[in-house]
Amino acid sequence: MEIANLPISASQRSKLLSAGYATLSSLSSLSPSHLARDLNIELQEALEILKVVSDAADRSKSTDGHHQALKGVQTAWDMLSEEQMQQHITTGCEDLDHILRGGIHCGEVTEVGGVPGIGKTQLGIQLAVNVQIPVEYGGHGGQAVYIDTEGSFMVERAHQIAEGCINGILDNFTDHDRKILACQEWMQPNSFLSNIFYFRICSYTEQIAVTNYLEKFLKEHKDVKIVVIDSVTFHFRQDFDDLACRTRILSGMSLKLMKLAKTNNLAVVLLNQVTTKYTEGSFHLTLALGDSWSHSCTNRIILYWNANERYAYIDKSPSLPSASAPYSVTSKGIRNSTSHCKRVRMM
Amino acid sequence: MLTRFRVEGEGERSSMAENDDLGIERTASIQNPTKPSSSIGARVRATHDDDEDEVRVSLRPVLPHSSSDLIHQEAARALSVMDSFHQPWLTGVELLDDANRNKHVLPTGLEGIDVLLGGGLREGQLIEIAGPSSSGKTQPLQMQVCLHSASCIADKGSVMFLDTCNSFSPNRIACMVNQFSGPLFKEAKERRLERIMSSILCQPIYDIFELLDTLHQLESTLKHTVKTGGYKICLLIIDSISSLIAPILGGKSPQGRLLMVSAGIVLKKLAHEFNLAVLVTNHMVGGEGGIIKPALGESWKNIPHVRLVVSRDQQSNVFTATVLKHTMRASGRTAKFVIHN
Repeated sequence: MEIANLPISASQRSKLLSAGYATLSSLSSLSPSHLARDLNIELQEALEILKVVSDAADRSKSTDGHHQALKGVQTAWDMLSEEQMQQHITTGCEDLDHILRGGIHCGEVTEVGGVPGIGKTQLGIQLAVNVQIPVEYGGHGGQAVYIDTEGSFMVERAHQIAEGCINGILDNFTDHDRKILACQEWMQPNSFLSNIFYFRICSYTEQIAVTNYLEKFLKEHKDVKIVVIDSVTFHFRQDFDDLACRTRILSGMSLKLMKLAKTNNLAVVLLNQVTTKYTEGSFHLTLALGDSWSHSCTNRIILYWNANERYAYIDKSPSLPSASAPYSVTSKGIRNSTSHCKRVRMM
Repeated sequence: MLTRFRVEGEGERSSMAENDDLGIERTASIQNPTKPSSSIGARVRATHDDDEDEVRVSLRPVLPHSSSDLIHQEAARALSVMDSFHQPWLTGVELLDDANRNKHVLPTGLEGIDVLLGGGLREGQLIEIAGPSSSGKTQPLQMQVCLHSASCIADKGSVMFLDTCNSFSPNRIACMVNQFSGPLFKEAKERRLERIMSSILCQPIYDIFELLDTLHQLESTLKHTVKTGGYKICLLIIDSISSLIAPILGGKSPQGRLLMVSAGIVLKKLAHEFNLAVLVTNHMVGGEGGIIKPALGESWKNIPHVRLVVSRDQQSNVFTATVLKHTMRASGRTAKFVIHN
């Protein structure tokens, strides 16, 4: 295997190549201090490079002679039973949950997009609250990570939604036994707020940094069940000169998010904005960031207006059929829409 | 290309030269050991035009009084061991024989595509399917084609699915498998489903380096199973390779293109050596004049053997496939096919 195929940074690779090290075997019996002197880098860096090299060499050597099963491989039959046990996070609106077959899927990346004012941030906050419903009441009892790029997260609104959610649950469960009512002490809006980890992002480099940091963060906080990014497009739409660079950064970010969703079995919800597109002689609205971004998510939900009612439409999903459902935004959060309901003012 | 082999041992020298039908001259010389109890440690050196391979071969001990026949026998044995390290050229007849015997055609189950491809996916080839993503439909079309092929081919051998976008849906495969089965009792259906689903293996991959690692591991696993006669993989699907390559392609360094081409080389080598068909999916990007074209650029165009573009007709279940490139058939032909829900 060549040096070029190793996962090291470009500057380290160019230093190695200019010093004459082109193959793995040339680095195999080299001491770190010798390498550091040759390449004019720190000893720590040389140690890291040699570790990557020895890992790669181990992998190619250990497969000689004896059979090694591929790691991480599962048969479709095993995955079938796993898929049926997959967890969902309820959105608060029964119609929406119905078309999603239970709610937002854990282990997948869902993109939600819509025109301004349709309720994307409201849906994000609602999901961050709903994931904390205790297990005894049919929820997950997990924590949430909310990454805010636009500054549209309002703590008072989150408090209101948490209150609405708790009251709704207690109303449904008033005639249950004492064991369940025992956890009523920590069913307070403040404790719900304390389980939401909030990151405020002010530039696209910070967004990339947070995505990289999330892996470590999630290892320390194993209870996190949902990551909401609101919105993923904001810093990439203005002032980005190099569109090819933008595509590269976005596709790299989406791969990392998919890996996080799969390995930690949590739901990742990305909120997106809309833009106009000119095709076949007419303008119509599509989600921002272009065609290449549309491949980066597993599920896609589009929110739109239809005669004074808010609707959600499933645009892309590996296992759900296309459908749409109405919902409404009330003072308690996202709920089922009542048919005569007009555009509701919040607060 | 002239290849010379030289076998050296200890003791007295005796040499043998041979010219086989390919005109390759091989010489083997074994020296007799001075001590009767030691075995001949022969050092074999093979020199080609480009590089040298040196291998240690140990032979039976040859006593100083042994006849030259025994020495020649041992030399012949050394030469046969050397043959296994040296890969001879294949003649056209041998290639045709290999193609007829080992490289079968795997039908995808979608009639239009099978007609375009001349029967289906051919083992030993790298086939690319490009298509636009969600344009008013729920499932990406390329993924549907992949799942369809997987469920059809899983009957004949194992299918390995490398999934980069979490789009592998066991439920959907189960639906497709149940569509093909004729009238069977419930238990028989269940058993058939289990048998087919157990021969589809899925692994999530999120990194180009992970992909290269997995392919190298797969290569050594397959080499091992060829000897032991274990299960046979006949189809390898990567959905989608463009999402792995897009983050590294472009920019000032050619590293991304290098990794893309290396991945292509490893895939084609796997396909040819182990007789499997490799199916990769790609997405579309906007080109000049608003016409969409497959992603990954000009360098990728030469890598797959067969390239197809699929698209959907106006919100219906009917899809169109166009051949962009094929090694054995004319390009530009189209066909329609239907995927049922």
